[in-house]
Amino acid sequence: MTVRENQFVETSIPNGKEAHLTRFYIFSPFLRIFHWLMVISIIILFSTGIVVMTPMSMGEGQYVILNEWHLSVDWIRNLHFLAGFILSAAFLFRIYGYIINKGDRLLPNFFQMKFWDDLVEVMMHYCLLKYSHKQFLRNPMARMSYIAIYGLIVVEILTGFAMYFQVNPNGIGGSIFGWLVVPYGEMFLHVVHHIVAWCIFLFAAIHVYMVVRADFMEREGEISSMISGTKVLAHLPDDINDIRDKNGKIIKG
Amino acid sequence: MERYDSIWDMYKKKGISRRSFIKTCTAMTALLGLAPTMLPDVVKAAEKRLPVVIWLHGHECTGCSEAFLRSGAPLTSDVILNMIALEYDDTLSAASGEPFENHLQEIMKIYKGQYILAVEGAAPPDPKGGFCMVGGRPFVEEVKEAAAGAAAIIAYGTCATWGGIQAARPNPTQAVSLNEIVGNKPIVNVPGCPPIPEVMTGVIAHYAMFGNLPPLDNKNCPKQFFGNRIHDTCYRRPFFDAGMYANDFNDAGARAGWCLYKLGCRGPETYASCGNMRWWNGLSYPIQSGHGCIGCTSKNFWDNDPFYTRLPEVAGLGLGNIDKIGAVATGALAVGITAHLATSAVQKRKRDQKELEDKKKTAEELDRISRRKD
Repeated sequence: MTVRENQFVETSIPNGKEAHLTRFYIFSPFLRIFHWLMVISIIILFSTGIVVMTPMSMGEGQYVILNEWHLSVDWIRNLHFLAGFILSAAFLFRIYGYIINKGDRLLPNFFQMKFWDDLVEVMMHYCLLKYSHKQFLRNPMARMSYIAIYGLIVVEILTGFAMYFQVNPNGIGGSIFGWLVVPYGEMFLHVVHHIVAWCIFLFAAIHVYMVVRADFMEREGEISSMISGTKVLAHLPDDINDIRDKNGKIIKG
Repeated sequence: MERYDSIWDMYKKKGISRRSFIKTCTAMTALLGLAPTMLPDVVKAAEKRLPVVIWLHGHECTGCSEAFLRSGAPLTSDVILNMIALEYDDTLSAASGEPFENHLQEIMKIYKGQYILAVEGAAPPDPKGGFCMVGGRPFVEEVKEAAAGAAAIIAYGTCATWGGIQAARPNPTQAVSLNEIVGNKPIVNVPGCPPIPEVMTGVIAHYAMFGNLPPLDNKNCPKQFFGNRIHDTCYRRPFFDAGMYANDFNDAGARAGWCLYKLGCRGPETYASCGNMRWWNGLSYPIQSGHGCIGCTSKNFWDNDPFYTRLPEVAGLGLGNIDKIGAVATGALAVGITAHLATSAVQKRKRDQKELEDKKKTAEELDRISRRKD
């Protein structure tokens, strides 16, 4: 579907500015469902992970409330594993969405000089050295950070399953992931798992801040795009070619 | 002392009947944890020639030998007198000095490609470094020479297997494990500081019985002894699952024998038989005696310090473990985000004001132009 003139929504903005706003369809349900599953599972994984590493003691003379809640470490570990399996399964669906939908594939264009120039521009904007940057479906800095977060999640999945399946090193899971234990020992996996978990947590904090900030500063429907799959933009974004189909058409939301 | 070619040979020379010999083999089958159907193999193995063993000591404390001497089943005396022909061992032998070193050279020549090499201790890889000299020669050269003619190599203890305390930070002698010095040879890793005595004798008894190495896992450790985590075989595991911990070595939990997880027990990362075989004929093991596991069979376990906190501290920073550093980083990030948000809000207001002024100016300009036209 091409974008036709009559499909543009005309809006007047209170202080007298006028703009043509267009709704672009970008994110497929695979990406959106994965995103929110990831949010839920990462919250569960991070909080249970911290508790598993520094559990509260139950029993006589300890935390009375905990005794009543029956929050045993066994239970919390099982919750951690459940969330881990959900995250891994969602990640597989994310990969499927990546294959079938162009809007889910907004990754860095490492081999184009323009990408690096745009990256510098956007970074200057976020360092508060530049008032504004070009409009993007997804800006170069976001593209870089999302590929980084997927990398971090892959590390968490690999190290997590390696530790999980080592209960039986001779089993199928142990033979798939067991090689990770060999080079530096298993304690190293715990340390890496923790470092990466904190990186993901810090990423999430920055990510939420950036999205809210972008929503208020640019008013492009940044937050709602992860629910509706569409973004409302006043201009044709700079990287619009990344979501054109093979006939050069753009899908409008 | 009379020399015997095999266990059966010893029985014959001592005038003991074939019937007693078969009985002993049956007992041995049971002790090695083998199925009763394996008896014919054990008998066949006991009729074979005793394997020649050379035992070298490198960069270490000889604690592994001390442990080896305390094996109960099979008894150490049975192993070194009846199951193997221990031709060279600097700590167990009565002989010493030059004749003994010459004997080592002789044995290596005669039994080339047939003897088992047992090594205790790490090796400093630089032969000119002057560290760890045995009989005036660098240990690294001696072990390389001995390994070249060995049929199989057993690395006893964490030092030989992973480098141990010698290879821990800052590693002044640059010590490395046997695995890094000897290539292209089957090495059985028997880590532990020291390994359980029965594990040490069990591995060599397996070779003596069957003439091959026991099945190994991906770290080249015998599966039957290093196939499980201590945490998964620990008798205190139910306390872990229930969330009942000793928070201090002096509290009620410690006295009641609750889980030592919060006191830094390394059981969850450590592969050893301590949980099921235990030490000194099943008498006890560290966790049973109230001290957490320090993970002595693990690679680099000395560097995962301190032993009394769950997560090791990040080396060189002095900031504590990664969870503490993460909490500090989160606080710093919160400050950073607030500052960035405030600055960008100010910037946005300035920008909007400037835009408005610019607009006003252009409107005035247009107004002036249009007036001039009139």
